[in-house]
Amino acid sequence: MSTMTAEHAARVIDYLRNERKSDDVSLDDVMRLAEIMAESFQSFFKTLDNSIYTELGEMAREISSMKTELSELQLADVRQDRIPAAGRELDAIVEATEDATNTIMSAAEEIMGADPADVEGYQNTVNEKIVAIFEACSFQDITGQRISKVVQTLSHLDERISRLVDKLKIMKIEDAPKEETAEERRRRELILHGPQHKGEGVSQNDIDAYF
Amino acid sequence: MALDTSIPVLVVDDYKTMIRIIRNLLKQLGFEDVDEAADGTEALGKMRERRYGLVISDWNMEPMTGYELLKQVRADTGLAKTPFIMVTAESKTENVIAAKKAGVNNYIVKPFNAQTLKGKIEAVFGV
Repeated sequence: MSTMTAEHAARVIDYLRNERKSDDVSLDDVMRLAEIMAESFQSFFKTLDNSIYTELGEMAREISSMKTELSELQLADVRQDRIPAAGRELDAIVEATEDATNTIMSAAEEIMGADPADVEGYQNTVNEKIVAIFEACSFQDITGQRISKVVQTLSHLDERISRLVDKLKIMKIEDAPKEETAEERRRRELILHGPQHKGEGVSQNDIDAYF
Repeated sequence: MALDTSIPVLVVDDYKTMIRIIRNLLKQLGFEDVDEAADGTEALGKMRERRYGLVISDWNMEPMTGYELLKQVRADTGLAKTPFIMVTAESKTENVIAAKKAGVNNYIVKPFNAQTLKGKIEAVFGV
């Protein structure tokens, strides 16, 4: 029976000593190591059993295919550009809606506080503030465009993650049970999760029936 | 019986814009004495310093939610009878039932208008 020689292990040792770029172990490191091991030990395993050799060849092809899939995900692009850009768009939306709301409410408050006894002054205030309200409403167009960009980013992520999940058959692996922290439990039990969409939840009329 | 708009009202919400909206709606209804708090803890502190005739509170706030505030108010003999209206964007039946069981007087779903607010306040005071 054949024995494993120093030559078989040489490339693996060489990779571990010289080729790794940093001390952190990345997915890329693991995959590259697996690839080198599969290649280096091919001749050794070939002498043992042809079926093992075939299996190893299959594994090497799977690893190579997985690497291609991961590179097509363009994770660096998603992490460095798309996600931060989407975050900036959402921040800008919050800021724009807040500014517009404040402008509209200030205008309404000034109309509410105007003295109707001074007819001319009252009309001038109302006319001026109505124009300010119309101008503030232009936020809807800008935020609509910003929201479209965020939706594009989510679609981009959805498409790529779905493809990876499909290729790697990740859905067949059950998620490991995660322990809930006290804070997570408090939020789950006490904090509501925001507005419902149309057709979800109950209406004000339904609620009124309880009182 | 007419609605007594001279009572002091405490509006509790962590979103300043919402407080401003409710304050203006209350002003339109004739309520001038309106105070505000940014969460349940601040509200409870204010309620122990001053007797309010009505509390209008959001549900989702940190560190103390409106639901926790309601339960604390109902458990405090000095505050237990304060009329309490819950205002929230979420309208799940189980939340409404939980609030009802905890002793809420009425429940309003956002967004709402001045008429809804007026109707619920009137219902609380039996007007």
